[in-house]
Amino acid sequence: MSASITVLQAQSDTTPLNILRLIPGILLLAAVGYCGKFLEKFINTYAKSHHWTFPNIEYVLWAIIIGLVISNLLSVPKIFQAGVATYEFWLKVGIVLLGSRFVLGDILKLGGISLALVVIEISLSLMLMHFLGRVFKLSPKLTSLLAVGSSICGVSAIIAAKGAIDADDEDSTFAIAAILALGALALFTFPLIGHSMHLSDVTFGLWSGLGVDNTAEATATGALYSDAAGKIAVLAKTARNAMIGFVVLAYAIYWAKQGQAAAVENKASFLWNKFPKFILGFLAISLLVTFHTFSKDQVASLANLSRWAFLLTFAGVGLRTNFREMSKQGIRPFIVGALGEVLIAALTFGLVVGADRIWGL
Amino acid sequence: MANKPSGNSKQITLSLDSWAVLLALILAAAVRFGVFPKVPW
Repeated sequence: MSASITVLQAQSDTTPLNILRLIPGILLLAAVGYCGKFLEKFINTYAKSHHWTFPNIEYVLWAIIIGLVISNLLSVPKIFQAGVATYEFWLKVGIVLLGSRFVLGDILKLGGISLALVVIEISLSLMLMHFLGRVFKLSPKLTSLLAVGSSICGVSAIIAAKGAIDADDEDSTFAIAAILALGALALFTFPLIGHSMHLSDVTFGLWSGLGVDNTAEATATGALYSDAAGKIAVLAKTARNAMIGFVVLAYAIYWAKQGQAAAVENKASFLWNKFPKFILGFLAISLLVTFHTFSKDQVASLANLSRWAFLLTFAGVGLRTNFREMSKQGIRPFIVGALGEVLIAALTFGLVVGADRIWGL
Repeated sequence: MANKPSGNSKQITLSLDSWAVLLALILAAAVRFGVFPKVPW
C-alpha cells in the first residue's frame, strides 16, 4: 500500500541518485510487460501451428498475472520497489499520448456524455457510500475517504482527500486497500460480464471508466476487453478524474466547518492544486492532432508510444497487488467497499446501457 | 508546478503530473521531428 502513496513523492524528487534508484524497478516493469506481450504472441502462434483452438489471452492479462505471481508468491525485492511504484507515472504519460487517438470532436461528444454520466455516478456513489458507512458504523472520516475513492478516482483521490480533511494514516490505508482489492476483482469480472452481455466497445469502455475506481485498473479493464474499449475507458475515467477538486473541496469545507480540518482559504487555488494536470496534456496532444500537426504515421507512432507506457502500467498493477497485505487491513471497510462497488457497478451498468439507448453509443 | 526559493537561486520542483506531461510532450516532439521515425508495437 505504501508504494502507492510514496510514488508521488518519489517522482518529484529528481536528484540523480533518486532517479538511479528507480531504474531496477522500471526495468522489471518493462521485463514483465514485455513477457506478457511475448506470451500472447507465442501462445497464439504455437496454438495455430498445432491447429489448437485456444482463446486469445491479451498481453494485458498476461502482464498482470505475471506481476501478481511475482508479488504474491515471490514478493518484490526492495531494490525494485521504488521503480515499480512509477507505474502511475507511466499511466499518466500513456494517457497524455493517448490524446493522439482522439480528435477534439470525439472528446467533446464522448467526453460530454461521460461527464453527464460522471455527475450522476458521483452523486449516487457518495450517497450510497455514506449510507453504507453509517450502517456498518465506520468512522465518519474513513467513510468520507471510501466515498471519495469509490466515486472519483481511487488512490489519488483518497490521497488528495486525506490531506484536505486531515484524516488518519490508518483510515486512508484501509480505504486504499479496499479500493485496490476491489479494482483487482473488477479486472477479472467486468470483461466476463461485458462479453456475456455482448456489450459494444464504447459501452464497455464507458462502463469500465465509470465503474472501476483506480485509473490504472480502469484502463487495464477496458484494454482487457478490446483496444477500442481501453481508449474509451481512459476518456471516461479522465472525465471522472477532472471532478476530483470539486468533491475534495466540498469535503474539506465540510470537515473544516466541523472544526476537524484546516479551513480552505483560497478555493480557486485549492481547485487548481487538486486538478490532475495530465488532463491538460491529453487535451494539448488531441488539439495538435486535430489541427494535423502530425502525419498519419506519426499519429500511429504516438499511439504505439502510449501502448508501451500502458504496458509498464499493467505490469505495475500486478506487481503492486499483494493480497496478503490487503487481508491485514480488516474486513469491515472491505465489506463496505465491496457492497458499495457491486452496487456502483450495477448502477453504472444501468447508466451506460441507458445512455446507449438514448444516444446510440 | 511551483517555484521554491533556495538561497540565491530558485529551485524548480514539478509534480508527478507535470513530469508526465513534460515527458509525453518531449516524446511527441521527437516523433514530430523524426527522432523516432516509426515506433513499432
